[in-house]
Amino acid sequence: MSRHKFFYVIALALIVALSCPLSVFAQEKVIKIGALYPMTGRAGLYGLDSVDAAEMAIEEINSKGGVNGYKLELTNTDSKAKPDYSVMVAKRYITQDKMHFLFGVVSSAVGLAVTEVSKQYKKIFIGTDHASTQLTTDKFQPYYFRVSNNTFQSMAAGALYLKELQQVKPWQTIAYIGPDYAYGHDQWEELRYNLDRFGVKYKAVGEYWPKLFAPDYTPFITSIINDKPDILVSGFWGGDTVAFIKQAQPYGLFKKTLYFHPDAGGNYELMSAMGTELPEGLVLSARHHNNWPDTALNKEYVEKFFKRTGRYPTYAAEGAYAGIYAIAEAVKKVGNPDDTEALVKALEGLKIQLPEDPEGFTSYIDPATHQVVQVQAIGVTKPNDKYPPAKMMLGDWKIYKAEDLLPPKDYADRQKKK
Amino acid sequence: MNQSSGAREIILLGLFLLVFGSVPFIKQSDYHLMLANHVLIWGMFAVAFNMLFGVTGMLSFGQALYYGLGAYSVGLVVKNYGSAMFLPALGLGLVLTIVISILVGLLVIRLSGVYFTVLTLAFGQLAWQITFRWYRFTGGDDGIQGIMPSGLLENHTVYYYFTLALVVVSIWFLWRVANSPMGLVLRCIRQNPERVRFLGRRVRRNQLRIYVISSFFAALAGGLMAGVTNSIHPDMFYWTSSGEVILMAVLGGIGQFFGPFIGATVIIVIQDVVGARTEYWSLIIGIIMMIMVLGMPKGLVGEIRGLMARYAAGKVNRG
Repeated sequence: MSRHKFFYVIALALIVALSCPLSVFAQEKVIKIGALYPMTGRAGLYGLDSVDAAEMAIEEINSKGGVNGYKLELTNTDSKAKPDYSVMVAKRYITQDKMHFLFGVVSSAVGLAVTEVSKQYKKIFIGTDHASTQLTTDKFQPYYFRVSNNTFQSMAAGALYLKELQQVKPWQTIAYIGPDYAYGHDQWEELRYNLDRFGVKYKAVGEYWPKLFAPDYTPFITSIINDKPDILVSGFWGGDTVAFIKQAQPYGLFKKTLYFHPDAGGNYELMSAMGTELPEGLVLSARHHNNWPDTALNKEYVEKFFKRTGRYPTYAAEGAYAGIYAIAEAVKKVGNPDDTEALVKALEGLKIQLPEDPEGFTSYIDPATHQVVQVQAIGVTKPNDKYPPAKMMLGDWKIYKAEDLLPPKDYADRQKKK
Repeated sequence: MNQSSGAREIILLGLFLLVFGSVPFIKQSDYHLMLANHVLIWGMFAVAFNMLFGVTGMLSFGQALYYGLGAYSVGLVVKNYGSAMFLPALGLGLVLTIVISILVGLLVIRLSGVYFTVLTLAFGQLAWQITFRWYRFTGGDDGIQGIMPSGLLENHTVYYYFTLALVVVSIWFLWRVANSPMGLVLRCIRQNPERVRFLGRRVRRNQLRIYVISSFFAALAGGLMAGVTNSIHPDMFYWTSSGEVILMAVLGGIGQFFGPFIGATVIIVIQDVVGARTEYWSLIIGIIMMIMVLGMPKGLVGEIRGLMARYAAGKVNRG
C-alpha cells in the first residue's frame, strides 16, 4: 500500500507540474515566432544550432530596441522530425498560441507538411534549412518563404563547377551515391538536369543507393572502384558523409576518383567530426561556410556564435539567423506583425545583407518563387586549423552567381507534369 | 453481460458522447478540435489493437501496416483523382485492408508468441520500405500533402463529428465482439489454445477473424487521420507507430476494454503538454511509463477499477 501511495504521489506531482501555465506571452507588442526544429535524433545538431543562432539574432535585434517597438520572441517545440506531430504543433502555434510566423524545420518532409498548414491558415512560414526544391516550385504557396538555398541551386552550382573543370581537366565519366530517399534522388536528378542544361557532355557509369543512416558502405565502395568514374557525386548529409568517407579512405577511393559533394558536403559538421582524418582535395559546398566570404559580417557572426555556444556553427545556423532578420526587416517595412498580406508583399523581393553574402552582393527573396537568391561557393578541402576541432577547411573557392542558379521558368510546370 | 453492467456501459457511452460531442462548443481554438480528433482516432486504433493483444493474446508489432494502408489509400486516391474521392478512397482502403489482412493473417497466425510478433513486425517494415522507396508512386519520404476531404467534410467541425460518429460505431461494434461468444472464445485462446481445440472450437479461424477485424479498424484510423492532418508520411507504416499503439494499450490497461482508449488520451495529452514545455519530452514520458509499469501494472483503468472495488469492499465491511 505504501509503495502504491508513493507512486500516486509522484504521478500527481508530475501532473501538477505539467499543468502550470506556459511562459506568459502577455507582454504587449511582441512578434511571436513559432519554431519547429528537431532537438533529438540524427538531425538534433541542426536543430540545436538553428535555435542558438535564431536566439542570437533575436538578442541582437531586441538589444537595439526591437522592431518598431516590437520585441521578437521565439518558441521552439521539438518537431521530433515527425510530420504528423509537426502539423499538430503548427496548428497549435497558429490557432492557440497566436504566433505571427511559423519558422524553421530541418526535414523536407516536415517542411512539406507544415507549408500545407501555412497555406490553410494563411500564416507566413519562413523555411530556414530544408532543401527540397518542391517547396518553391511545384508545391509553392504564397505564404511560404525560404531563406536558404535549395538543392536545385546547389546542383546548378555543382554543374557549373563540373563544366569549368572539364575545360581544365577533361573528365568523362560520372557516378552518384546518395541516400535512397527523396533528398538523395532529387539531387541526382537535378544535377543531371543542370549538366544537360549547361551542355556538359558526360557518361553516367553508376548509381548507388545505400539506405539512409546505413552503417556499412563497403559493397558500394567496391562497386565504385570497379566502375572507375572520374567524378563521384555524393548526396549524403550528416553522419552518413562521415561514415562513407571514413570507410572509403582505406580503399584509396579519393586518389582514384574526384569526390564531389555540392549540397551538404561542406557542412562544418563534417570538418569537426573528422579532424585530420578528412582527406585533402575533396570538392565540397554547403549553404554557409565559416571561412567564406572573408567579410566583417561573416567573421563577426561566426565569432559571436562561437562565444555564445563554445562551438562553430553548422550551415543550419545561418539559415535560422537569416530567417529572424528577414522577419525583422519585413515587420519594419509593414509596421506591425499582424497584417499577413502586407508582410507577404514586404518579404517579396526583400533585400537582406547576410553573413554568407560576399562583398558587393546582397541576398534577396525572388518575388515569383519566394526563394532566397544567393551566391554559392564551392571549395576544396585544405589544411586549416583556425576552426577547431576541424583540421581541414575549404579553400580554393569558386564562386557562382546567384542568378545563374535559379531554376528556369518552366521548371515548376515540368515537375508538376511528372 | 448482466443488466447493471449494461446500464453502466450505456451511462459510460452517454458520458463519452457528452464529453467529445461538446468539444466544438467549448474549444478555444481549432487546435483543441484537432487534439480531440487525435484522441478519438488513436483511441479507436488502440481499442481495436487491444482486441488482438489484450483479449486474444496476440501481440502484433505490425498494425502500422494497416494504419498506413488506410492513410495511403486515401492520400493516393485524393492526390490522383481529387478530393471528391475522399470517402470512396476511405472505403477502398478498408476493402484493401480486408484482403491484405486475410492474406497476411493466414501466414502470421501459423506462429504464436514472439515468432508471431516478429513476423508481424517484418510485414509492417516491408510495407514501410516499399512506401519509403517507391518514390514515383508514393512520394517516398516526402509523403503526400494537401489531402482535403470534400463537400461538407471540408468543415473542421463537421469532419470532427464524422470522426466521432465512426469512432462511436466502431467502438460499439468492438465492444459487442468482446462481449459475444466469439469474445469468450478469444479470451480462452489467450489462456489456453490447446484446450479451446479440445472443446471443438477453431483456434486459427478465430485468430484470423480478430486479426482482420483489428486491422480493419487500424486502417479506418489511418484513413481518418489523413483527413485530420491533411498530409501523410511513410512513418505511419513504421514500427514506431505500432509501438505507440502498444504503449497506449499497456498504459491504459490491456485487461480493460476501454483501457487503451484512456491510454491513448493520456499519451497524446502528455506528449502535447510536455512537448510544448521541454525538449526533454522523451525523458518525462519515460519516467511516467516507468511509474506506470512499476506502480500500476494493471494500467490506469485497471488500477482505478481496483481502487473502486477496494473502496466498495471497504464500505461493505464497514457497513
